[in-house]
Amino acid sequence: MVDVMLVAVAGALGKGANSPTSLLMMATLAEPVHFSWVEMALLVACVVASGGMFFWRFGPILRNILDSKKDVDFSLRPVGRRVWEFVWEVLCQAKVIKERPLPGLAHAFVFWGFLAFALVSLNHFATGLRLGFLSPDGYVGRFYFVFAGVWALLVAVSIAGLFVRRFFVRPVWLGKKVSYESGFIAFLIFTLMVTYLAAFFVSDDGVVVKMLWWTHTLALLVFLPLIPHTKHLHLVLSPLTVFLKRDGFAKIPPLHGDEDFGLSAGKDITQLISLQAYSCVECGRCTEHCPASTTGKVLNPKEIILGMRGYLNELGPQSEVGLLAESRPESAFGTTLSMEAAFECTTCGSCEYQCPVGIQHLPIIIGLRRGATNTGAWEDTYGTKLFLALEKNGNALGLSAMERDKFVTKQGFPIFDGTQEYCLWLGCMGGYDPKGREIIADFARVMDYLGTTFGVLKKEKCTGDPARRLGNDLVFQNLAEFGLKALETAKVQKIVAICPHCVRTISNDWREFGIAPEIEHHSEFMARHKDRLPKQGAAVGAAGETIVYHDPCYLGRYRDVYEAPREIVTMAGTLVEAPRSHEKSFCCGAGGGLAFLGEETGERVSHVRAAELAGTGAQVVGTACPFCNTMFRDALSEMETRPQLLDIAQLTARALPEKQAAGNGVSTTGN
Amino acid sequence: MKILVAVKQVPERDAQIRVAGDGKWIDEGDLSYTINEPDAYALEEALQLKEKNGGEVVVMCAGPDRVLSTLREALAKGADRAIHIEADDLGERDTLGVAQILADAVKEEAPDLILTGLQSDDLGLGQTGVVLAALLGIPHATIIMQVEKTEAGLTVKRELEDGWFQQVEMPLPALLTIQSGGNKLRYATLMGIKKAKTKETKTVTAAAAAGSRAITLERVYLPEKQKKTEMLTGTPAEIAAKLVEKLKFEVRVI
Amino acid sequence: MSGVLVVLEQRGGTWNRMSFEALAAGQQLAAKLGVECSAAVVGQAVQPLVAELAGKKLAKVLAVEHVLLKEYTADGYVLALEQVVKQEAPAYVVFPHTYQVRDFAPALATKFKQVLISDVIAMQDGSAGLVFVRQLLQGKLNADYKQTGEGPCFVSVQAGTFRAEAVEAGTAAAVTVTPALTAEQIRNKPGELFRESAQTVDLSAAPVIVSVGRGIGEQDNISIVEELATALGAELAASRPICDNGWLPMARQVGSSGQTVSPKLYLAVGISGAIQHLVGMKGSKAVIAINKDENAPIFEVSDYGVVGDLFEIVPALTKAVLAAKGA
Repeated sequence: MVDVMLVAVAGALGKGANSPTSLLMMATLAEPVHFSWVEMALLVACVVASGGMFFWRFGPILRNILDSKKDVDFSLRPVGRRVWEFVWEVLCQAKVIKERPLPGLAHAFVFWGFLAFALVSLNHFATGLRLGFLSPDGYVGRFYFVFAGVWALLVAVSIAGLFVRRFFVRPVWLGKKVSYESGFIAFLIFTLMVTYLAAFFVSDDGVVVKMLWWTHTLALLVFLPLIPHTKHLHLVLSPLTVFLKRDGFAKIPPLHGDEDFGLSAGKDITQLISLQAYSCVECGRCTEHCPASTTGKVLNPKEIILGMRGYLNELGPQSEVGLLAESRPESAFGTTLSMEAAFECTTCGSCEYQCPVGIQHLPIIIGLRRGATNTGAWEDTYGTKLFLALEKNGNALGLSAMERDKFVTKQGFPIFDGTQEYCLWLGCMGGYDPKGREIIADFARVMDYLGTTFGVLKKEKCTGDPARRLGNDLVFQNLAEFGLKALETAKVQKIVAICPHCVRTISNDWREFGIAPEIEHHSEFMARHKDRLPKQGAAVGAAGETIVYHDPCYLGRYRDVYEAPREIVTMAGTLVEAPRSHEKSFCCGAGGGLAFLGEETGERVSHVRAAELAGTGAQVVGTACPFCNTMFRDALSEMETRPQLLDIAQLTARALPEKQAAGNGVSTTGN
Repeated sequence: MKILVAVKQVPERDAQIRVAGDGKWIDEGDLSYTINEPDAYALEEALQLKEKNGGEVVVMCAGPDRVLSTLREALAKGADRAIHIEADDLGERDTLGVAQILADAVKEEAPDLILTGLQSDDLGLGQTGVVLAALLGIPHATIIMQVEKTEAGLTVKRELEDGWFQQVEMPLPALLTIQSGGNKLRYATLMGIKKAKTKETKTVTAAAAAGSRAITLERVYLPEKQKKTEMLTGTPAEIAAKLVEKLKFEVRVI
Repeated sequence: MSGVLVVLEQRGGTWNRMSFEALAAGQQLAAKLGVECSAAVVGQAVQPLVAELAGKKLAKVLAVEHVLLKEYTADGYVLALEQVVKQEAPAYVVFPHTYQVRDFAPALATKFKQVLISDVIAMQDGSAGLVFVRQLLQGKLNADYKQTGEGPCFVSVQAGTFRAEAVEAGTAAAVTVTPALTAEQIRNKPGELFRESAQTVDLSAAPVIVSVGRGIGEQDNISIVEELATALGAELAASRPICDNGWLPMARQVGSSGQTVSPKLYLAVGISGAIQHLVGMKGSKAVIAINKDENAPIFEVSDYGVVGDLFEIVPALTKAVLAAKGA
C-alpha cells in the first residue's frame, strides 16, 4: 500500500520515476540553508512565546487535575491490559475507526500523520537553530522525509474531509454551535501539511523555501497555544486518559470515609474524573447513542462531561458548591449539570462504550446521583417510594414478601438446602411480576428437562440494583449484605438468574461487601447445554418463525454476552438482527432504576426500541431480561399488529415435551 | 420548639404470622421489626416542623434492645436525640401501663409538643397518644393531617369521616396523633446514618413496674376467613345482584 | 354497677349512622348479660334525637345537654361523660368506633383507670367469660380481649359489625342531664368543618374507586364505567394504556407511574393487572375485578371476581346499585 502511495506521491511531484527506489532518490525535501542570528533569535522568541502561552493556559488545567481528590482505589494493575488498550485504542485508533469508519479513518490518518511528523517537526526547529539532525540528502533523512510526505498528503486530504464534514455536512452530534476555532485549527493543520509538501518542489536556496519554512513554523506555534482551551486538548490528554481509565466497564468506585457520599461538590471530583472531563473531544458519540438524548430528554452525556469541565474551570476542584445545585444560569455548567438530567440516565452504558478518549460516564453520572441521593438532596416521589419499598419490603415493587412465598409454593420450587447444584435466583421480576414468573417457571422447566437440580432461597430480597444505580448506597449496602448472608447461610456455590441486572449486581457490585458469588445468566446456562435441548423451526428444517433478538444492556455491554442468547434463539427459529444490535443495542428504557420512576418526558425509550424491533418484520421479539420484556410488553401493546414477545427461556421451553408441562405448568423437580 | 416523637417498633407488615405455642401472642423468633408506619409520619411531621420553626426533635421508644435500630433510623432521618425506655415486658402492660412509662420519661424532657402515630400496626388500639396526653394533663387532637405553629400555639387539621376536615386551634404544650399520608416520608440516607452515629441515645429504665391491667389479651388466633378470590357466576343480572350484596354487607360501601 | 350504656354520636342534630350499630351492639350485650341497656346523646338541644330513641327498647335515654357541648371537643365530652358514667355507673359503656370516639373515649377511660377495648368485631362467651374480639396486624390475626379492671368496661364497635336494622323497638324514658362544665376547661378551639376543593384529582383519598383498563376497547365505551362510578359515588381511575391513549387524563392513572391508592373498594373493569398496575392498588381493602380472561393476574389480588363480558355486567351492576341505593 505504501508503494502505491509512493507512486502517487511521485506522480504528484512530477519529477518522474521508473521505480520506487529511484523515486526515493529523486524526491528531496528543500530546507533553507542559512539562518541568520536575527532569524534564530526571532525563532527562539516565537517558540518561547508560543510555549509560554500554551503553559499559561494549560497550567491551570493541570493544576485542577492534580488538585482534585486522589482516586483512593486506583491501581495501575493490570498493566498488561492497560498497555494493550493503549495500543489498540490509541495507537491503532480501533475504537475511533470501528464506530464511525469514514471519519474515524480520516482521524486515524491525522493521528498517525502527527506521530510520523514528530521527528520531522523536531528536526524542523533544529534546522532553524542550525542544529538539523536529519539531512534531506542522507539516506535515512531522504527516506524519512518521503515517508512523512506520504502521511502529510493523507493528513491534508483527511483534515480537508473532516473540515467539510464539520462545516458542511454538520452531523448534529457535533453540537448546534459551529466551532470556528475547530475550523481555524483544521486550516492550520492543512497549512502545516501543504507547506511541508511544497518544500519537495522548491530548491534549497530560494526565498520561497524560507517562506514555506517560516509559514510552517508559525502555523505550528499558533496551533500550540490553541490546544489547551479547545477540544484539541485531547491531543495531549487522551492518550493518558485511555491508559489510566478505571479498571472495568461502568464501574462504580467504593466510597471512602465518613465524608464521601459521591459527587456532591467539586471537592468530590477525583483526578481521574478531572482528567476525563478535560479530555472530552466533543465528538458527540455518547450523545448519538444515548437513549435519553435521542428521545428528547434533558440528559446529554457530553454536556455532563463538559459541565464537569465548566465547573472545574469556574469553581475549581476544592469547591463546596453543589454540582447539581438548582439552576445557575450565569454559570457555564448551570444548565447541563442538573438533577433532572442526572436522573434520566438508564445506565445503558452506550456513552462509555462509545467514548474514544477513555471517558467513563457511568461512574460520573452515578456519582452525581450518589451525591444527591446519599445526602437526601434528590427528592422524587417515585424515587422515595422505591427506596421505602426496598427498605421495608425488600423488593422494588413494594409487594409483600409473602407473595413470593406463595409463588414458590405454587410452583413447587424446592428451597435450596445445599444438596442442589444451582441456586435459582428469582429476582423481583421472577418472584413478583406475572410475566417474570412465567419466565422463571419456563426456565425451571428447562432445568428440570436437563436434570439439573436447583433450589430457591427461602428469603430473597432485591439485589439492590435500582438503589445502586440511583445512588442510594445505604439501601444498596443493606440489601447486598442481606443477600450475601443468605447465600452464605444456605451454602450456595452456583447461582443462575434470568435477570441481567441481578447477575451484574451480584457478580460485580456485591464484591464491595464480600466475595462475589459465582452467578450466570440463564442464556449462558442454556447455551452451555444447547446440545441437549430440543430444536425447533428452521433449526430442524421446518418453517420456523423469525425472531429478532434484543441485546439487554446489562447482558451485552455490561457482561459481554452476545452469542449465548443468539445460540438459543437460533435453535428456536430464524434469528433476525435489529438495526442496532450487539454493542450498539439500544436500551429498553428500564435500567438505572428508571423502570420505577415516573413518566418520561419526550418520547418513551421503550416505544422507540419496540418500534425498531417490530420494524424488522420478525414474528417474535426475543428478550433475555425481564425488565426489557415488561417495557416492550407495554410498548408493543399499543401497536396494531405486533410481534409475539418471548424470553429466551420461553422460546426454549415451548419445544419441551408436553409431559413436562403437566400439572398446570407447575414445575416438578428431580428432588 | 422542642418536639418529642413517641414511636413504636412493630413486626414488618408483610411478616409471616404464626401464633406462639401458648396462644397468647405471635411467634417472634422469625420476625423482623420496623418503625410503626403512622409513627414514621409523626416523625416526618416533627422534622418538617423543625425545618420550618427551628428547635429540637427528640425521638423516644419503649421496648427491648431491638428498638435501638428503629431509634437509629429515626436519628438518621434527622432526629436530634433519642431516648430508649428499656422495657422487656411491654406485653405485660396494657395501654395505660405503657402510656404511664412514656409519661414518666416525657416529664423529664418537658417538650412543647408530643407527636405520635394515630395507631400501631400491630395492636391497633389507637389510644396510647390520647392516654399519654390525659396522664400528662395536656390537650390533644387526633388523626391530624397538618400542623401549623401559631402565636398562641397550634392550628391543626383534623381528618373526619367522609372527606370532611376541621381546623382546631390549641395551646401548647399539646399532644397530636398523626395520620399516615399527610406528608411524604423521606428515605434514610447514607449521610443521615453516618451523622446518627454521633448523636446521643439516652437509655432510661421503665420507671413503673408492670402492675395490674385493666384489659388483658386472652388469646390470639388466625381469623377463619382467609382472603381468597370468590368467583361470582350467573347471568349479568344475577352477578350484579350478588355484587350489590357484597358491596352492601362485606365491603360496606353502599 | 350494672347495665350497658350506649353513647350515640350526633353532629348538628344528625345521627352518625354508626350510632345505631352501636345501639344494636349494646342491646345484644345487655341481653347476653341479662341487664338493662340505656343510651346517651351528647350535645346541645338534642331533644329531637332523643325523641327518636323513645321508640327503642331502652331502660332510659339520657340527653346530655350543655351549651359548651354544642360543638364537639374532647375536653367537653370527656368531662361531661365522666359525670354521666359516674352517675349511671354502668358495667359497660359502648361506642361506635368513629373518628370522634377515637378522639375522646381513650381519655374518658383513663379517668376511670380503664382502657378502651377499641374497634371490636365480636363479643363472645369464652372459657374465660365474656371476651371482645379485635383484629391485630391489619386483620391478619384475631385477638380475644377481656376486661380485668374494676371500673366500667369501655368498648367501641367497628363499623358494619352490627346491623342497625337489628336495633330492637320498645319504649324508653328520656332524662335530661346537664353536666357541670366551664369554658376554661375546654382547651381546644374547634373550627368549621370543611371539605377539600375537588379541583385536583386525589385518588389516594378516595374511599371507592372504579378503574377502567384496556378491556374497554374504545374511548366511547368509557361512559358505561363512568355511570357505574357515579352510581357508587366513586372516583374514576384507569390503567396506563387508557391514559396513554388520552381517553382519560393522566391524573387518573393508577400504577407505578401514576398514583398509589388504598380505597375501601377498588373495582377493576377490564384491567388485566400488569405488575405496574398492581403495585398502585394492592393496598385496597377490597378488590372486585371484572375481566373476560379468567387467567388475568388481577384475579390474584381480588376478593371477588367476575369472568365475563364487561359490556353486559357493568350496566347491570349500575342498575342494581342504583336500585339498592334508592331502596
